[in-house]
Amino acid sequence: MENHLLELRSVDVSYGDAQAVGNFSFYIDKGKIITLVGANGAGKSTILNAISKIIPTSSGEIFFSGMSTAGLKPEDIVKLGICQVPEGRHLFTKLTVLENLELGAYPVHTRPFMKDSIEKAFTLFPILKERINQSSGTLSGGEQQMLAIARALMARPKLLMLDEPSLGLAPKVVSLLFKTIKKLNNDGVTILLVEQNVHQAMEIADYAYVLQTGTCKMDGHCHDLLKNSDFKNTILGIRE
Amino acid sequence: MLRLNQMKVHTKYIAGLIVVIFFVLCPLFLNSERSYFIYFLYTTFIYITIAQGWNLIAGYTGQVSLGQHAFFGLGAYITAITWRAGLTGYFDPLAFLLSGTGALLLAAIVGVVLLSKLRDDYFSLGTLGIGEILRVAALNGGSFTEGAAGISLNSTAYKSMNHYYYTALFIMLFTLVVIVLLIRSRVGLALIAIREDETAASANGIPVLRYKILAFSIGAFVTGLCGSLNAYYIFHVHPPGVLSLNWVVIPVLMCILGGAGTFMGPILGAFVLSIAFELTSIWMPEIHPIFSGAFIVLVTLFMPSGIMYYITNHKSMIMRRLRLTVFKWMNQKA
Amino acid sequence: MSYFPSLAVFFQIIINGTFLGTMYGVAAIGLSLIFGCMQVLFIAQGTMMILAAYSVFWLVYFMSIDPLISILIIIPVFLVLGWIMYKGMFQRVSQAGPSSTLLLAFGLMVFMESMMLFIWSPNIRSVKTSYSTSAFQIGDITISVSRLIVTVVAGIATCLVYLFLKKTMTGKAIRGVSEDRVTGMLLGINPNRVSAITFAIGIAMAGVAGVATCLIYPFDPYFGFLFSLKALIAIAFGGLGSVGGALLGGIILGILESLSSYTISPGWADAIAYAAFILVLIFRPQGLLGKAADKV
Repeated sequence: MENHLLELRSVDVSYGDAQAVGNFSFYIDKGKIITLVGANGAGKSTILNAISKIIPTSSGEIFFSGMSTAGLKPEDIVKLGICQVPEGRHLFTKLTVLENLELGAYPVHTRPFMKDSIEKAFTLFPILKERINQSSGTLSGGEQQMLAIARALMARPKLLMLDEPSLGLAPKVVSLLFKTIKKLNNDGVTILLVEQNVHQAMEIADYAYVLQTGTCKMDGHCHDLLKNSDFKNTILGIRE
Repeated sequence: MLRLNQMKVHTKYIAGLIVVIFFVLCPLFLNSERSYFIYFLYTTFIYITIAQGWNLIAGYTGQVSLGQHAFFGLGAYITAITWRAGLTGYFDPLAFLLSGTGALLLAAIVGVVLLSKLRDDYFSLGTLGIGEILRVAALNGGSFTEGAAGISLNSTAYKSMNHYYYTALFIMLFTLVVIVLLIRSRVGLALIAIREDETAASANGIPVLRYKILAFSIGAFVTGLCGSLNAYYIFHVHPPGVLSLNWVVIPVLMCILGGAGTFMGPILGAFVLSIAFELTSIWMPEIHPIFSGAFIVLVTLFMPSGIMYYITNHKSMIMRRLRLTVFKWMNQKA
Repeated sequence: MSYFPSLAVFFQIIINGTFLGTMYGVAAIGLSLIFGCMQVLFIAQGTMMILAAYSVFWLVYFMSIDPLISILIIIPVFLVLGWIMYKGMFQRVSQAGPSSTLLLAFGLMVFMESMMLFIWSPNIRSVKTSYSTSAFQIGDITISVSRLIVTVVAGIATCLVYLFLKKTMTGKAIRGVSEDRVTGMLLGINPNRVSAITFAIGIAMAGVAGVATCLIYPFDPYFGFLFSLKALIAIAFGGLGSVGGALLGGIILGILESLSSYTISPGWADAIAYAAFILVLIFRPQGLLGKAADKV
């Protein structure tokens, strides 16, 4: 078996009787940016949550570094090195910026690096340093997204999963954000990006999977897909 | 397929009718003055009524009231005070009506204030407060409520247990019919919609507050009737008796035990819990409450969504076992 | 009885109310932590208090251990008890929704109440110590030594819990999980472990409140529910999910009770407390302290 960093093999996820994701397979290699694109309700967030073990899969297998993650709990997944930044940020709004960051390093093996990680987070997002003792609920949308990413990085993930990071942000902030994501990737973090903002996601990603109603409609290298007329019609056409 | 469903519905009605006829005939075969069974049914009927009243606001509408004892106590006090004043008499329909209406009005007033402002646990706590305020008010009501000693009524008026038994049966059947009609109507749908998603319900044009108050008030009305009957039964209305938290806690337990938000749930729960309480109080009177507590703990641990839910989810399994048992039994006979 | 107390009497009332309120407050902190972390309205909190009070009663009676030293026994025992209660019961039931956990808490309350009735009888008990009756004077104000000790102990317990929540990783995780359970999981926090710890601390706080109570007031098994109600009111005053708020809410309730029983009548004190409770729920659901409640 090839050692992909993350591999899903024919994964099914259902909410009650409703199937959200059916027979979905894909893989990510180390150092890449992979993006999952598709309309609302296509099952993108469901896949992330299945990887994070927040929701159970009804069949199929998930491998991380060639090892099956079956039977693991959400906290074990984080220890393995997969961190998710959920849609809508989900900061602990009553806690301060610093406390949010500290909780990012909750897994015991990451705690010794906590100080160092916090410094890194501040060099990546200098604005957070100014807000250090503010409660995170008072931050602006862009700052909150930065904090959410910085918090996930505290656990030193091998794979960072971002769910709709551009949601509700001003265009200027979005392009800054995507630059940062690219920078993180250059620093060695593998990234799985879920986006509705297809154009910008495709610009930084290496490979894309197109989801429609829970199944993979097509996949390919980003520059190929952008030339593909079928892709243009079904995905970009709908969105235009 | 349709016919099969209709048949099922018909069997339900027939079964219900048989049970009602059985209850109606019970006093004819038993000496109701002496029979423990009649007394048992009488209290169970009352509990079912209160439980169904609570079920309407909490089970169907999703607003967990913890103030039902206020309505029960108010009903009892209205009956006692009007009788003492000579305005009504013993087993006076007017007294029942006044008691029910009094409770209904209290619920409507409390409802306007609490239901418009408070949600979820806050509403529960608010209603709990109302009940406790009423209790303290009764304790401090001077000659009007006669304080902690309470109002003693003329017990020589007592005629027969059958009066109580049939009135309780009637009140219970009245409540059940009202609830069935309500739940099957648009109102019932609206109530369930409110429970599931209040914002969506109100966005769809359901007057949420009005329906909540309606459900709360109807529940209070029937609870008030029970309070009134209880006043006639014990001839003594005092705060620890009629404003005891037991009048909210036990019916709520029955409801949850049976399955809140279902029609059969409270009925089933009331019978199961009453039987469990009675059996333990007969056989092990000293440790009866210990058993009751342990019983509640065990049920919540192993059947957290109630008996009805358990039955509907395990219907095929239960039916199969039942059939097997019957089959074995018949084989043994043959 | 005068409707207008003199200044000295007024201070006396405030001080008595503060002592009483501290007891409510400590019980309320436990209740508030548990509610904040797992949305369980643990109405057996007061009964746990009384259980602690009876335990102290036995420790004094059979082993002549001073009640204040018995705290050192009660706290670890109650921590373990709380942990077991969560792991053995509440973790299972918590998926079934709030009405089930409320029912479970109620079942536990009835069970423990009747066990206590069975073991210790419904007679009112009290714990006597050498310093039970000693008091000292500041001007016209009398301060009872045992009440003062109890208040200090309660204050220390509150500070410890506050520091734990504020300074330790587990404490921060408790606060995080209280706000957003799923996100906690995404950060590698095991919410069940955090909940178990919270429950243990909550029960231990009931233990501390119980020890404090038995030093000052006579008690019987039925007192528990009353204390649970009072703790609930204290939380409503202080705002949910805040340690300082719960304590302050308790003290406000205590002062309100002693003021109203002096100026109106002891019989109405409870009703006034409940009425204030409903008013607060309606007009200031975030608690009297408003924004302060948003911090720990």
